[in-house]
Amino acid sequence: MNIVVFIKQVPDTNDVKWTQNNNIDRARMDCIMNPVDKQAVEAALRLKEQYDAHTTVITMGPNNATEILKEAIAMGIDEATLLCDSKFAGSDTCATSKVLAAAIKEKYPQTDLILFGQSAIDGETSQTGPSTAVRLNMPFISHVNEITGITDNTVIVNTETETNKCSYKITMPAVLCINNYIYQPRIPRINGYIKSQNYYYKTYNIYELNISEMDTGVKGSPTYVSKVYKTNEQRNCKRIDTKSQDNYINEVVCSIKDVLEN
Amino acid sequence: MEPNGILIYGELNNDYSIRPVVKQLVTKARDLKEKLWNQRIMVCIIGPRINYENIIYELGQYGADEIVIVCDNRITEYNHNYFPEVFTQIAQKYPPRAILVGATNQGKEIASYCATKLNTGLTADCTDLDIGENNLLLSTRPTFGGQLTADIFCKTFPQMATVQENIFKENKIEHNASAIFNWIDIDKIEKKIETIKSIKKELKSKDLSSAKIIIAGGAGACQNDGFALIYQLAQKLNAAVAGSREAVEKGYITKSQQIGQTGKTVAPTLYIAVGISGANQHLAGIKNSGKIISINKDENAPIFKHSDIALIGDLFEILPELIKNMDT
Repeated sequence: MNIVVFIKQVPDTNDVKWTQNNNIDRARMDCIMNPVDKQAVEAALRLKEQYDAHTTVITMGPNNATEILKEAIAMGIDEATLLCDSKFAGSDTCATSKVLAAAIKEKYPQTDLILFGQSAIDGETSQTGPSTAVRLNMPFISHVNEITGITDNTVIVNTETETNKCSYKITMPAVLCINNYIYQPRIPRINGYIKSQNYYYKTYNIYELNISEMDTGVKGSPTYVSKVYKTNEQRNCKRIDTKSQDNYINEVVCSIKDVLEN
Repeated sequence: MEPNGILIYGELNNDYSIRPVVKQLVTKARDLKEKLWNQRIMVCIIGPRINYENIIYELGQYGADEIVIVCDNRITEYNHNYFPEVFTQIAQKYPPRAILVGATNQGKEIASYCATKLNTGLTADCTDLDIGENNLLLSTRPTFGGQLTADIFCKTFPQMATVQENIFKENKIEHNASAIFNWIDIDKIEKKIETIKSIKKELKSKDLSSAKIIIAGGAGACQNDGFALIYQLAQKLNAAVAGSREAVEKGYITKSQQIGQTGKTVAPTLYIAVGISGANQHLAGIKNSGKIISINKDENAPIFKHSDIALIGDLFEILPELIKNMDT
């Protein structure tokens, strides 16, 4: 069985650095493997152990994105591939999913199971996994927190959302988006680190993936960002010192009742 | 066919009533319609063969013009195999300029599927929608963990956006909708996903995404039974209870009730923050709230700058006072 995990390098949004002009200062920010993608890697490794599956991680990104490929190899993944081309830059989820689908079609056509993290902490769209699945004509299920079994050509998974706990039996090849996976991602061991330092990555560019320039990057992205600005969350606050103002409670009760009655 | 109008996914609740996010999207679509030379607002409903008269009437009151209904008795609840495909076929039959979908679990699935099939762009979890340059849909959404806001356009039709429940407000006008019935043979759609079981979770507290009022506790409420007071007030207000990361760590709430970047993003009409200082990661989860009232004894608590009303004082004095006064 062949498993591909798509992972993404993201800036650590928990520690955002700003320039003097209120722009994000990417150069000064740490880049990490998207946290939930690490859960997907762990899920693949469990299947590798249980079913002797061959595991591959693939990422689309600049050359320094190999850092997260190294990390996945150190965790125990068998193979790692970088999809890298300056023409991919500026891809939205639509254009990205075309590149990822092309990687499967052209380079990994024997894939049985594709794993994604549910969403990335920088864009948070949750769209790339489902969109890639649709392009490959594969079924997809989101919010998978456990993969309970694989038989012949089906995979059985558990999902948990805000309101429901479900189990599904899905015909493979299939795409699963992992979220709140029941096992913690493992910490790489020293042997893994050594292996990752000497690992030779495959790299594919736009021509090797047989993608038209019109289908990717800025040209292939139907959406474009016209403006980005620092979110202003400040409000006009009415400050009430409850110790010195006795009748404050009426005002608060009124504004609550306003909400209740509308 | 020239794309025309705005198509909205009419998600139904388990009891076949219409989900609030649909009414909110229809209300919002009225603003967009005005800027699009009064093009029609369509709502697509997928469900069993039942009487849809009330739903048609209700959606009309929010401003919908045409309700496109695909009904079949084999359809009893949401199905991963054919709902996205059925909606996509409707979007192909009545090609709209814009498609709006509630960012619910099924809505997100349908929107991703449909956008990919139609080879168009999709902007997820928008916090505002407008018509911008060249009469294109302008979608505004937070990015980078809520620290940045982006204005996004789409070059292709239909222009698609998803919006979380309670981002927009619903309101009625005098208006009537008409209905168009469609039949799509769902047996012809390939079924690769079989549901083995589906269990509705017993929620300890009300669902955060649809709650009108949320009361959240932070570190300050994690001592001397502050959360007992929060639950008491929540019951009075029919509110949902949530909290900060500290409250999860101390065991007062579950992980699913955590608000913030590593938890949930919420947009209630009223958010009451009790004993929450207002770390950036928490603020990212609440900024879409209608009104924010915060209670904190530290007059320099960062949350105050992000609140509409700041109550500086002891929550153990203020909450009992509120609980008492809500009765009268």
